[in-house]
Amino acid sequence: MLAYIARRIGIVLLILFGSSYIVYNLEAFSGDPLAELRTSSAKNRDFLIAQMTRELHLDVPPPIRYFDWLRGVLGVLTGHADLGKTRDGLLVVNEISAAIPVTIRLVLGATILAIVLGITVGVITAIRQYSRLDYTMTFISFLMFSLPIFWVAVLLKQYMAIEFNNFLGSGQITVPWMIGAAILIGISVAGIISGSRRRVWFIFGGAFVSTVILLWLVNVTDWLLKPGLGIVGVGLLTAGISVGIAAIVVGMENRRVVLASLTVAIATVALYFPINALWSAKHLSFLALIAPMLLLVVLAIVAAVAFTKVDRGSAIRTTVITSVFASLLLLIDRMMNTWSGYIHSDGIDLRPIPTYGTVSVRLSSDNFWINLMDGFVHVLLPTIALTLISFAGYVRYSRGSLLEVMNMDYIRTARAKGLSERVVIVRHALRNAMIPLTTLMAFDFAGVIGGAIITESVFGWHGMGTLFRSAISSQDLNLLMGVFAITSFMAVMANLVADLLYSALDPRIRVSK
Amino acid sequence: MQAKRTLRSVAILAAGLLATSTATGLVASSANAAAKSTVIINETTAMTSLNSGTPDTNLVTNSDIGYLTSAGFWYYDNKPNLVRNTKFGTFKIAKNVKNDFEVTYTVNKGQVWSDGVAITGVDLLLSHILNSSAYSKKAGLGDPSGDTAPAFTSGGYGGVYDNHIKSVSLSKDKMSVTLKYDSFQPDWQISGPGPSPVHALELLADGKTALPTPAAGAAATAKFLSDFNAGLKGPNARLAKIGAIWSTGYNIQDINASTNPLLLVSNGGFIVQSAIKNTSVTLVRNPKYTSGPALSKTNPLNKVIFSFVTDGAPAAQALGNGEIDVYDGQPDTATYQQLKQLGGVTVETGTTMTYEHVDLRVGNSALQTDANAADYNGPFADSHGQKARDLRKAFLLALPRQSIVNKEVSQAYDPNNQADATVMNSNFLLPGQTGYKSVVAGSGVSVYTAGTQAERTAAALKLVQKWYPSAADGSNTVAINMLFKNNARRIGENLLIAAEEAKAGFKVSTVGNAAWSSKLDDPNYDVAMFAWAPQVVSQTGNNANYQSDGGNNHYGWNDSALDTVLHSLEAPLTDAQITAKYLAADKIIMAKAWTLPLYQWPSVAAYSSSLKNVKPSPLIPNMVWNYWEWHF
Repeated sequence: MLAYIARRIGIVLLILFGSSYIVYNLEAFSGDPLAELRTSSAKNRDFLIAQMTRELHLDVPPPIRYFDWLRGVLGVLTGHADLGKTRDGLLVVNEISAAIPVTIRLVLGATILAIVLGITVGVITAIRQYSRLDYTMTFISFLMFSLPIFWVAVLLKQYMAIEFNNFLGSGQITVPWMIGAAILIGISVAGIISGSRRRVWFIFGGAFVSTVILLWLVNVTDWLLKPGLGIVGVGLLTAGISVGIAAIVVGMENRRVVLASLTVAIATVALYFPINALWSAKHLSFLALIAPMLLLVVLAIVAAVAFTKVDRGSAIRTTVITSVFASLLLLIDRMMNTWSGYIHSDGIDLRPIPTYGTVSVRLSSDNFWINLMDGFVHVLLPTIALTLISFAGYVRYSRGSLLEVMNMDYIRTARAKGLSERVVIVRHALRNAMIPLTTLMAFDFAGVIGGAIITESVFGWHGMGTLFRSAISSQDLNLLMGVFAITSFMAVMANLVADLLYSALDPRIRVSK
Repeated sequence: MQAKRTLRSVAILAAGLLATSTATGLVASSANAAAKSTVIINETTAMTSLNSGTPDTNLVTNSDIGYLTSAGFWYYDNKPNLVRNTKFGTFKIAKNVKNDFEVTYTVNKGQVWSDGVAITGVDLLLSHILNSSAYSKKAGLGDPSGDTAPAFTSGGYGGVYDNHIKSVSLSKDKMSVTLKYDSFQPDWQISGPGPSPVHALELLADGKTALPTPAAGAAATAKFLSDFNAGLKGPNARLAKIGAIWSTGYNIQDINASTNPLLLVSNGGFIVQSAIKNTSVTLVRNPKYTSGPALSKTNPLNKVIFSFVTDGAPAAQALGNGEIDVYDGQPDTATYQQLKQLGGVTVETGTTMTYEHVDLRVGNSALQTDANAADYNGPFADSHGQKARDLRKAFLLALPRQSIVNKEVSQAYDPNNQADATVMNSNFLLPGQTGYKSVVAGSGVSVYTAGTQAERTAAALKLVQKWYPSAADGSNTVAINMLFKNNARRIGENLLIAAEEAKAGFKVSTVGNAAWSSKLDDPNYDVAMFAWAPQVVSQTGNNANYQSDGGNNHYGWNDSALDTVLHSLEAPLTDAQITAKYLAADKIIMAKAWTLPLYQWPSVAAYSSSLKNVKPSPLIPNMVWNYWEWHF
């Protein structure tokens, strides 16, 4: 194993050296960093050209100049990595370290969301293979997959930012919109639930009417301007979630776990006001933010242990998942309560959804929640755009993988010995079906650092993708190589990690030689 | 019956609720429409430094921010004409005799920096350090053209000032500085000094982190004067320390309450308040501002935010969403159409100073450094005498300038626009500048504008047939190797040129070159097409392009009569005299058939219609040149 890893790392280093050498020379020969100065009519042009030549060592031919760059990079071994300076005289290291957090903020959420949603939908469509739902989801995922992101981004900005902001001026949903939305939701709900024609119509009607009522309530309560779940909403949703999670993880027949899970929901309601009081502190520390959530997790473990005597592992898993969702609901409720203050704050003026950037340049607030909301609305549209297009891959992979596993002999054996369908899918099939997806995930996480070049430029985020693009367009060799070094390193390491994970997860695969 | 009545009352209740909530919504939104005083300006690059004076930091964004935070002796308006800023001070020629040309700059009394320290003539002296290589060497600050960077990594060395300054002296009252040049300098107005907060540099060198009292500031200014004088005599370590601060200390991209306020001292209408790296810079009004035109009396700006959006299309949507108020750039067709459709936004098209042109090679470049390069012997080489002159004329005659300009200018943003755009017809003046019309009328450029393109191309073919009787439409008789960048704009232009020149018997190469700029002196190319990008208006600004030893003369152009005319521009002249000289020079260039200009690059400015007095300008600082006039 160790020998295998060592050998792989050796190969990785060779690949990195070779690829960086090629990229360095390709970029150096593909353009002229002095182009702008050569056509300048400045009287001291020659001096400026000499100055830039001196600074970037342009008098050294690129195939040799590369080693100068490499020496700086290898300084990482002695703790003095030097990636050189950009054309504008900034340290490449500083530029990259400023860009990485931006990119992670942009891509990480979308990647996780795409994985969670994609796998969920993939699993459901696999279980209901060839159902109306399956066809609908297949259609939607292929549609998303084939959309160009810059176009999705422009549409999102137009309708979810500009038009939504215009709409928020009144915050009232008009009747045609209400009916349109109700029809759409009716169709999707009826599409998901299959059955006789009569049943489908009945479901459609139910969804239609409840949507209209819900939207009407939104209007009369001015919910879009002053949203919130309240203690009742949080309580009901947590109770529903706790039962649902128990049903999936251990099954409804396991009453004790269901009770333990419900206890978490009750605890959440009991703690609703104290937690909100704590979170309303003027200077909210990170600890104060996270403490209630940790408390809920601890309570969940205690509840699980108190209610069950056997199979405590899965009981704890159930209650902990419930408590995480409960914490999220509390957080969402708190954010909803912030919304009204946010949209009315100076510099936002009822136009809360932005089309670009990472922060509102006009907003000046020291309130933790207002700033969190500001960060959230900025990351919202790019996250939706990225999730939409990368979600399809996960749907297809997880669906295909699960279907393959479901046809295996051991699944038939499991069914034959009388296990419930839930246990067959959750315990036997799903786990094995997820193994091939690790490769995909490992690469996606490596891609997080590489950034999303188009998404970043469309949404005006100065992350790794923007650095990469501007480095190419302005012939900024050091900057380009800095970005390239980081992203190529991440890519080859992800490859290695995926291989190792694979062998750890699947005992049938062994790394050898 | 009962059910119906219940339904009706529910409906009435619902309607009532709807009406109330709509009303409250309306009230809420109108209460927010308070008087605006913040303007958000889009920049395509991020700020990298508060000091735009080094070659590294000489970026448009840095210069724009610098323009709002400083005021000097002059500025350019949108014509672009040089305007003297008499609020700050005055300057005049003190002496103009052979070998002794003196200019005196006087700072008006009573002005202060944003920290309250008085502005004096001493504040002009840093300029000398930043522009004089001789001073830098003498004071032990390093040789700017040597192998290691000097203490002040200024981008000012090597220019007119550096080559001609003899001495600089401060008046007794310390409010005036007199510059002594070795001869008359035609660009003396723009070569002069600007003010720098030297007291802040001194305090920074002392490691201070708080703003000084006026007295302490004045003491620091005095300290700088003694350091400056010491530098005139010999090496000075203190100046080297100040140089390091000037060169790198201002390179900050995050500015907040913990930033050293000494770095933000300025005398412009605004001072930098905060900045977020790669995102924005916020400036607020400088309450002590008296150094330039007073800010508008009605609803002036209280805050200016530069927000960095790299691309045109996102900026247009941001403008539509109210996230930015002012946009300036060269957008594509789609972005332009998008801007036009935005409500409450004024869109103006204009031109930049950058102009496109086609140059023909007549010999080896004077700048050619490769001693082994073969002599240029292509179709246009002067060594071929009359034949080359005819071929050059034929090539320029068949150059489809109008269709290129229509494609790149009038159809740049609207493909359906059939109007003819303005073709540029002078090598010295831009359309609209003083004297342009008379130069065009007399320079002989009319040869290349008379008749239709078909007639001109036919005339070109006749000229080619004079030397190659077999030449015909599509005969590809004369091969021409053309140098151009392989971007969309140039490839499109090249294809138009190749198609039209083919009708005159030329075969023009159609392969662009990404590294075109390093090939300008390469004698393998017969023709080059690129753009000149002047940064200032200067009466001798184009001399370097056409003088036989000019720094921008890549095509072996050499004519002693022209050299004499261009040299005579380096003297104090009236506008009429300058126009006459441009006319004479253009006449020679047209007769030689060396080059033809094409067009000025188009630009688009879009801004919130509620913002008044925005007047886009072709020169940096583009939009913000008259920020003091802006108001809502």
